[in-house]
Amino acid sequence: MTIVMFGIVAAFLSPLVQMTLSSLKSERQVSQAHAPLLPSDPRTFTHEGRQYDVYRVPVDGAVRELALVKKGRAESEFVDPAAPEKGTVTWRGSWRTLEPSWTLAPQWSNYAAVWKLIDFPRLLLNTIALAVISTIGTVLSCTLVAYGFARFRFPGRGPLFTLLIATIFLPTAVTLIPTYTIFAQIGWVGTWLPLLVPTFFANAYSVFLLRQYFLTIPREMDEAASIDGAGPLRTLRSVIVPQAWPAITAVTLFNFVYTWNDYFTPLVYLSGRPELQPLQVGLATFNGLYSTKPAYIQAGAMMTIAVPVILFICFQRTFVRGVMSTGVEK
Amino acid sequence: MKGETMSRAARREARYGLLFVLPWIIGFLAFTALPMAATFVFTFLNISLAEQEPLMFVGLANYQRLFADQQAWASLWVTARFALLWLPLVIALPFLLAVAVNSKYVRGAGLLRVLLFMPYVVPFVASALIWQNMLVNDGWINTALRLLGVGGAPSWLSDPAWVLPGLVMIGLWGLGSGIIINLAGLRGIPTELYDAARLDGAGWWRQLWHVTIPMMSPVIFYTMILAVVEVMQYFLIPLVLFDGSGNPGGATRFFNLYLYQTFFTYQEMSYGSTLAWLLFVITLIVTLVLFRLSRRWVHYTSER
Amino acid sequence: MNRLWHALVAIALAMALAACGSSPPPGGDVAAVELRWYCCLGTGEQAEQVKAQQKVIERFHAAQRRIRVKLEIVTYDSARDTLATQIASGNGPDLAGPVGVGGAAAFHGQWLDLAPLIKSSGFDLSSYAKGSADLYRIGSVQEGIPFAIYPSTLYYKADMFEEAGLAEPPHKYGEKYTWPDGRQSEWNYDTLRELALRLTVDKNGKDATQAGFNPGEIVQYGFEPARDDLRYQGAAFAAGSLDAGDGKTVKIPDAWADSWRFFYDGMWKDRFIMTGPVFETEQFNGDGAAFFSGHVAMSVNFLWSTYGVAGAGDDWDLAAMPSHDGRTTSPTSADTFRILAGSKHPAEAFEFLTYLVGPASQELLSAYGAMPARTADQDAFFAKLAEQFTNKVDWQVAKDSVAFADNPHSESHTPKYNQTLTVLGTYRSRWMTEGGLDMDAQLKKMREEIQGVWNRS
Repeated sequence: MTIVMFGIVAAFLSPLVQMTLSSLKSERQVSQAHAPLLPSDPRTFTHEGRQYDVYRVPVDGAVRELALVKKGRAESEFVDPAAPEKGTVTWRGSWRTLEPSWTLAPQWSNYAAVWKLIDFPRLLLNTIALAVISTIGTVLSCTLVAYGFARFRFPGRGPLFTLLIATIFLPTAVTLIPTYTIFAQIGWVGTWLPLLVPTFFANAYSVFLLRQYFLTIPREMDEAASIDGAGPLRTLRSVIVPQAWPAITAVTLFNFVYTWNDYFTPLVYLSGRPELQPLQVGLATFNGLYSTKPAYIQAGAMMTIAVPVILFICFQRTFVRGVMSTGVEK
Repeated sequence: MKGETMSRAARREARYGLLFVLPWIIGFLAFTALPMAATFVFTFLNISLAEQEPLMFVGLANYQRLFADQQAWASLWVTARFALLWLPLVIALPFLLAVAVNSKYVRGAGLLRVLLFMPYVVPFVASALIWQNMLVNDGWINTALRLLGVGGAPSWLSDPAWVLPGLVMIGLWGLGSGIIINLAGLRGIPTELYDAARLDGAGWWRQLWHVTIPMMSPVIFYTMILAVVEVMQYFLIPLVLFDGSGNPGGATRFFNLYLYQTFFTYQEMSYGSTLAWLLFVITLIVTLVLFRLSRRWVHYTSER
Repeated sequence: MNRLWHALVAIALAMALAACGSSPPPGGDVAAVELRWYCCLGTGEQAEQVKAQQKVIERFHAAQRRIRVKLEIVTYDSARDTLATQIASGNGPDLAGPVGVGGAAAFHGQWLDLAPLIKSSGFDLSSYAKGSADLYRIGSVQEGIPFAIYPSTLYYKADMFEEAGLAEPPHKYGEKYTWPDGRQSEWNYDTLRELALRLTVDKNGKDATQAGFNPGEIVQYGFEPARDDLRYQGAAFAAGSLDAGDGKTVKIPDAWADSWRFFYDGMWKDRFIMTGPVFETEQFNGDGAAFFSGHVAMSVNFLWSTYGVAGAGDDWDLAAMPSHDGRTTSPTSADTFRILAGSKHPAEAFEFLTYLVGPASQELLSAYGAMPARTADQDAFFAKLAEQFTNKVDWQVAKDSVAFADNPHSESHTPKYNQTLTVLGTYRSRWMTEGGLDMDAQLKKMREEIQGVWNRS
């Protein structure tokens, strides 16, 4: 059972391995059919100023590594790289049936090239800034709103909460055009504001998770605080927040990852401003520009997933426990 | 509370409560309610930037066009077909994997949990590109299939008949959170229930059927509802992979992609708004039906 | 706890302010007009090109202080949608380009008529080849000043012809093709088909005319048509338009239908053109220009292919376009800069536009790899191209091809332009991915579908 499960997980994660290997391939390898799995280059040999490919040629029962200098349909001419002065060898048969001679050659330079082409540091900074600000906005506003829903009775609370939950089911398309038009009218399109400002007005998902958690905190604790003369805001700060720390961390982490991975909103609002775009938009653009260089695309993908994956490996406990502590709520 | 006046304390509490939820109310009005209403109004107008006509009220013309629009229904069908492939997987697989990881015969549950969850944090643009690399003709999936002796391995991303299964595979990396939620649910089932079942002579299968699944039904329902809402709006991965072209042969022109094209490429704001409202109404109906049906099979252990 | 709270609020505010601070334009010069130059509806998105464009702007800024220009780069894939959205929300740029005939047609009716500005500024159009300004005229509206043109030619790999023992295709229009046995044939698409079959080779070295040829293991393809756009593909056979002439009725030109059948049969029957799934493999340049992979013998494409053709190796050359039904056509693309009708500063935008197509044109054209529309500049352009490649290329073919430009242009405006393109794109993709289709039925269905789109008021 254990072996089966680890087998499944290995298959599940194998794209990461292929990505890594592909990211190190050279353009020459990519363009060859039936190339080996590992990053390799076909061997070449320079003869009289021109570069020729080296093939494994069966000659008199032995396989020799020879450079193909003149291609023909029925017969081709080869030169022995070890002894070019001996002149050409004619071999009868189709050279296409021959196996090229491969040498292991990981192209680490792909990463350096992509780093520069995609302007990685700028994209990274943008992404971090966007993710940090919107996470702060979400956590602040959602904590307040969740507290309001969890602890206070006010007219219309039930219907309002239902409405809040209902927004989870709302297709975003139904609000997109008017929202975009308004943001454009007030000059926000092409800035970060359309991405950041809404996060300060709470979202249903996080409010819901936080409220559910707040409800599990015994009311006696707030009452004790309020007898001590604490106002609602101080009760929130000194009683609720410290108690609800696991839920708040989870909301923080999830919003961070969500913003980090968001593509559509920045695509719509920042499309004329590459200098403000985050990684995901940058990567999609890069994919459009260099679609014929799969090694570059994979290297770029590797670079954009590095931060969330490292973050996850460092905080995996918090992540997993975060989902566990909040996800059970029905 | 009818007829009574609220006590001072109650009024004070209500004021505070409203004050705390005010950010959301403002946000809801500004970013949801008003835009939605505006979109609704648009459906009765003729806003289209491609044709410069004077703005006017056109009644139900956009709705008439919607009913005659073959592409709209074809796209809805693409979305529906994808949903039929995707939903069973996205609901069952996390549950089954969670049951497997939780099983006492499996060692290293902690590590498995982490590894299964990890791809969830991989940005979807990157995961689409990584999977594209897996699914191309000379990628690992087809190489593996050939090694297994499958002749004529499918062209996942360029064959209209195989592209939806291909997209399903790309989506598998998003299952992480579902697995964790299911695991948490499994942990929450009191062991006494299993002990009791065993005393009744129930084997593994009957325990699963009579204890685990009923106890997990709220969690399954929760993952299902979220998956349904998501799948109705699915289009971003094909947008990235095929530049929104709907290739191959229109097989990935999902409803939301068609909507997006109508807005952004054809600049037909009013008709796009009509499509958006159709999507909204369908989502509403489907979720309501699911909630109604859930009463029959979802068992809540405690009333809240 | 308390302090952390305050710190968080302070950071949030500071960052929000920083984000706001970056949005308003820097209020330096007293009344400098700020123009927005929207790029990449055609070319211009590559890093080197962006640099060249920035340099041109800097020089423009150095020469005067009244006009500031901001370059907005949106990559080609999303450029049309983004521009549409910007215009839709009243947030359009002042100037767009380089943009071709198709890109311009997609925004039909939204470009400024330059004729009054050309007249009032006394701009001289006589330095361009006669009629080339007409490429930018739609109805009575002069939308652009000629800037760059890209004729189509046949790119081919000389080494593959040599390997197969075949003569290279003719470089001069009107010349015949000579077979190894001395037989001569008209240089038309039938001849090309025959050649392409012999140049399509499987893994075992067998070509498509030989017994035992394995179509599942092709390593070299004979021909690659202009695949991106069915209209372009049609125009390579003969110029035409889907518009029967009344602006309402769809008619598929016969030559276009011929070319699409040629394309379809080439993929699924004759096998000298790669199918969609093969086209996507990395081996054949993964969804890019397949000729650049170096595994394709002949390909029809625009002159701008010079940007990547080096990938095909150092044995490629240019040949004349084949004829169809006795007529030769070289579909020609034309790029320029255009001013949006919604620009608030048309006069300033025109001033910048004349700078782009005038003093800055040499630098930009060489960055774009585009042939100058101004006849006097063309020789210098080809001299520069010749330096760029190590192999000897017969550039005269490109110059000669201009005479066979398609008219009407394949990308000209039609009703419901973008929707029509979507239908065409879907059929193109279907043909590439599904074998065994009945092309007559397909063409009939396509016509009906487009007609349905056009009929929508």
